[in-house]
Amino acid sequence: MAVVEEKRQPFIRQDGKDKVTGLGRYTADLARTGMLHARFRYSDHPHARVLRIDTSAAKALPGVFAVLTQDDVPDVRYGGFVEDRTLFAKDVVRFEGEVIAAVAAITQEIADRAVELIQVDYEPLPAISDPEQALAPGAILIHEGWEGYGGNEDVVRDGNDGSHSTIKKGDVEAALASADEVVKERYVADMSHAVPIEPRAIVAEWQGDKVTVWTSTQVPFIARSGVATTLQMPEADVRIIVPYLGGGFGGKCDFHYEAHVAALARAARRPVRLVFTRREEFVAPDHRREGQVLELETGVMRDGTIVARSARLVLDNGAYAGDAPFFPQLAAMMAVGPYRVPNVWVDAHLAYTNTTPSGSVRAPTAPQACWGLELHMDAVAERIGLDPVEFRRRNIVRPGDETATKQVLETIAAAESLERAVEMIGYGRELPPDEAFGVACGWWPTFAQPSGAHVKLHGDGSGTIVTGAQECGTGSVMALPLLAAEVLGMRPEQFTVVYQDTDAGPWDAGASGSQTTTNNGRAVVEAAVDVRNQLLELAEEVLEAARADLELVDGRVRVKGSPSTGVDITELAEKAAGDKLLLGRGSGAPPASPDCDISGCTGRLGSESFLAPTFMTHAVRCKVDRATGVVRVLEVAAAHDSGRVLNPVGANGQVEGGVAMGIGMALTEGSQLSDDGRQLNPYLLDYKLQTAADVPAIEVEWVGDPDPTAGPNGAKAVAEPPCVPTPGAVGNAIAKVAGRVHSLPMTPARVWEAMQR
Amino acid sequence: MRYDAILNVNGTDFPVEIEPHRSLLSVVRTELGMPGSKEGCDDSECGACMMLLDGEPVNSCSFLALQAQGRTITTVEGLAGNGELHPLQRQFLAQGGVQCGFCTPGMLISAKALLDRNPDPGEDEIRIALSGNLCRCTGYQGIVRAVQAAAQEMAGA
Amino acid sequence: MSATYTAAATLPEALAALAGGARPVAGGTDLVVGARQGKAPLPDSLVAIHGLEELRGISETSGGGLWIGALVSHSELVAHPAVRDRYTALADASAIVGSHATRHVGTLGGNVMNASPAMETGGPLICFGAEAVLASQSGERRVAVESLLTGPGRTDARPDELLVAIELPATAGGSCYARLEYRRQMEIAVVGATCSVTLDGSGVGSARVAITALTPRIVRVPAAEAALAGSDGGADAVQAAADAAAAASQPISDVRASADYRRAMAAVIARRAIAAAVARARGSSESVPIPASPALHGAD
Repeated sequence: MAVVEEKRQPFIRQDGKDKVTGLGRYTADLARTGMLHARFRYSDHPHARVLRIDTSAAKALPGVFAVLTQDDVPDVRYGGFVEDRTLFAKDVVRFEGEVIAAVAAITQEIADRAVELIQVDYEPLPAISDPEQALAPGAILIHEGWEGYGGNEDVVRDGNDGSHSTIKKGDVEAALASADEVVKERYVADMSHAVPIEPRAIVAEWQGDKVTVWTSTQVPFIARSGVATTLQMPEADVRIIVPYLGGGFGGKCDFHYEAHVAALARAARRPVRLVFTRREEFVAPDHRREGQVLELETGVMRDGTIVARSARLVLDNGAYAGDAPFFPQLAAMMAVGPYRVPNVWVDAHLAYTNTTPSGSVRAPTAPQACWGLELHMDAVAERIGLDPVEFRRRNIVRPGDETATKQVLETIAAAESLERAVEMIGYGRELPPDEAFGVACGWWPTFAQPSGAHVKLHGDGSGTIVTGAQECGTGSVMALPLLAAEVLGMRPEQFTVVYQDTDAGPWDAGASGSQTTTNNGRAVVEAAVDVRNQLLELAEEVLEAARADLELVDGRVRVKGSPSTGVDITELAEKAAGDKLLLGRGSGAPPASPDCDISGCTGRLGSESFLAPTFMTHAVRCKVDRATGVVRVLEVAAAHDSGRVLNPVGANGQVEGGVAMGIGMALTEGSQLSDDGRQLNPYLLDYKLQTAADVPAIEVEWVGDPDPTAGPNGAKAVAEPPCVPTPGAVGNAIAKVAGRVHSLPMTPARVWEAMQR
Repeated sequence: MRYDAILNVNGTDFPVEIEPHRSLLSVVRTELGMPGSKEGCDDSECGACMMLLDGEPVNSCSFLALQAQGRTITTVEGLAGNGELHPLQRQFLAQGGVQCGFCTPGMLISAKALLDRNPDPGEDEIRIALSGNLCRCTGYQGIVRAVQAAAQEMAGA
Repeated sequence: MSATYTAAATLPEALAALAGGARPVAGGTDLVVGARQGKAPLPDSLVAIHGLEELRGISETSGGGLWIGALVSHSELVAHPAVRDRYTALADASAIVGSHATRHVGTLGGNVMNASPAMETGGPLICFGAEAVLASQSGERRVAVESLLTGPGRTDARPDELLVAIELPATAGGSCYARLEYRRQMEIAVVGATCSVTLDGSGVGSARVAITALTPRIVRVPAAEAALAGSDGGADAVQAAADAAAAASQPISDVRASADYRRAMAAVIARRAIAAAVARARGSSESVPIPASPALHGAD
């Protein structure tokens, strides 16, 4: 049974009042005395040798305080997995959004003018926009020096192939040969974007040798080490503070421009603020969602049993590696899906291209791969004449089944999510013409990371949680008081949270990988338990009872079975205030990765086993306008197995938002590229998000049991899973009316073309 | 050249001296020191900058500040009266209508314009009235619920 | 920065400013948005015309038509009974310009003078035979809207002329404007079509058909009109007219659509607009045909 904390009162988030009154401050709202305004000079070509940069006219413009290029910063190569880039362009520019220089000036207008005065001479080079072309023999090398790059030794690289992973299990050739039917198909997903409504902004200010950077980042500690590494300074001298963050979805994960702005501020000897335009937000940051080519082949028996899956995947890295090298292995797992497949061969590649680099965006690789796989599953079902839901029913993983890497899945409710979703949508009932149901199943791991937190109780009995975690809107940090309150028998409203400041809180991986509740929640619980023990020690004295006989309920420490015998926590806190501090620390050691067998697999970067995976099924009802190919999603049912659901309002909100994002990916969101890799629609009129008038009602239900290997009391990933199965479900509905569309987004023109065939 | 003007925002007259090309959004955020309204895009497509001009919604990023003279301007900072949250603000919080909060000021403004014009809107009417405000976090459902709850609360009062 | 600004309180003031080289701004939903998008910088010398009361209001003319001030907003047009009843295609168009906010602030005059090949109100105005009333210090001039729009972003108006009103002649029958869009709001026409018909008995008497976002400027399609005029207004005649509309289009390929898709959709959207116009002429209250709307009935 799903454990959903319904019994609580609706929990009002601590940052809520600021946000609804317009008093909350986001990074672009901040101003510092003497602040200058920054602007970047970007590359004029998607691929070129840089022969000469002349900043003299820009520097001479009155009002300009600093103009920087790579010559003005330490010559450091960096990168999370592969050290393939520098802060500014050096020798070669590899995509249209590469930063060649940065300007800080007294007004934004002067900074903008100065940028135009920077002269750059190039030798243009052929630009590759197609990842398959990049892997073809004879393709120009996008990183000529790739062999000399340092980084993670486990990344398997070769020229334009930035990361190669394979998954091998059983004997796929033999199984395909003996299958009753083999279905082979190709699917292509376009580049897409996170599109947080807040374009990023950064403010940097020095005091002596120390710099404070206010930045719209999801990962303050990653940003801190990025500044420290590239500017060659101690991490202790870098303070990263995140004001309110206007959404991230992965687009604001990773180290981006904090060091550029810090360097400008140091050179100018004044604080500097950089605010991105929406166009810059599309083109420059290296965290957009990668395009994928999926060639999928499935061997199946007539009774519906899948016996083999073979796949070749090519993922589009863009110009720099970023955090994408682990994608091929993760995409390979997604290409197998939440199903029993005894024989597997997946060959996955990550190709450099001369386009905006890709990086983790909400459930990286999964929406695209799930879309391709789920449309393919319906095609396989069609081939053997089986209803697509029944086909999934016969193959979906159940407790005790193993994955493609022989990890045994235990506390899972994938099958239950399938049954609930189809029941919720009323699958099988008769529909008007041109309407159809579509179903898709997906899965998504939780990522174990170290994390830390402190919990303090003050002399008046109120509490503070100090954490390095980052709140990008999901409510995961806002919900931490629920955990502390549960342990201490107090009310969540009694706790404030100090967060997203690298000087205040211990290290945390940030708002990424659906990890906050699992890892930082665990740390908060441990810290609260530490305080609990201190309270019990004090109470033992006062009540003259053994701690084993005591409980913390409703703000009191009291004797079990004798509730009138007790002492208020406030009294204990007052007592302690003059004497010892009530301060707890917790780190919550990350759980070990589940066992698996990856002999025969290459390019292993941690996605071979899935910690406490979430399983989800989306069922949709769509209407296709046959004459135009325009699709409307009329109804969505989402059933998610996320173990214990800590904060239902927050969790439901994540699913509703993820589904809307998934509908956008399915129908209207995608970057169009020129032949040389420039984005043709880097603005919201033609990169279309779903509006309130487009998104239908979304019904959400939680299934499954608390997973003991997961987060506090069995909570699994919530934030990323919701955008994963939606494109697949929509695609399967479209297929029933118009035919299968093998390109994502399934735009009206593409749907219409499918009907012409 | 700069022009003197008086901008009436949330009931207060502000004297300003501004150049003709300055947008209402930029002047309110900078000279008037009220950054509650946000800038989210380059092409008047996101609605994060929404303000009320004589009670009707306007994308302030694309409206010249000087043209707002003689009109009443309402921003999110003006919704709460006497320290009391407006029912819309209260319900946005109670119904899960706020996550990252960046679209929230504009959403509240559009919702207020709707309820001032029609105190009992149907769901589709609410969705169309809010369709000029993009939200990436909530999928709109919590926001629609909030507007419905606020309408009920305001009708009952 | 040497930009100048004046807010005209009277029409003569505005015309004097224009004669001096200033450019007018009303709601700014094309001019200021265009500047933000980087299409064209804001003019150095601006005259704000939002204070000109004589450019507001909708009134009946002695000939049974309608006088619409250039400053009338899209939301006013949508709400006005005479526009909804007699010039329904214009109400259809104004109802779907941008978003709520755009419709309140954006003006009919601004929409016309921006002269985008995809602007919504152009097709209806042309089909109704609308006339643009242009004022300048040298007097008043009237130009058919069909002739006013000369190319993408270009009009026949001189720099010192100000559009003060649109005059619509009397009309009868039914009309409809329909467009292809990919989401329900905040859209620009991928292709659009307008039709206005009068009845002759139960068949079609006269017909006007215009196509939008399919040619460098919005134009009527005489071949489509000929296919309808005098016909029984049935499916065959409607299809023939729609095919003629598609044949007259010169679609481009851009980020929104390929030329091939636009050409195919021209026939589809024209068919829908024409069928709805005929149905409305016969007294039905068809809603605007929205692609894949749950409410769309008996589509094709």
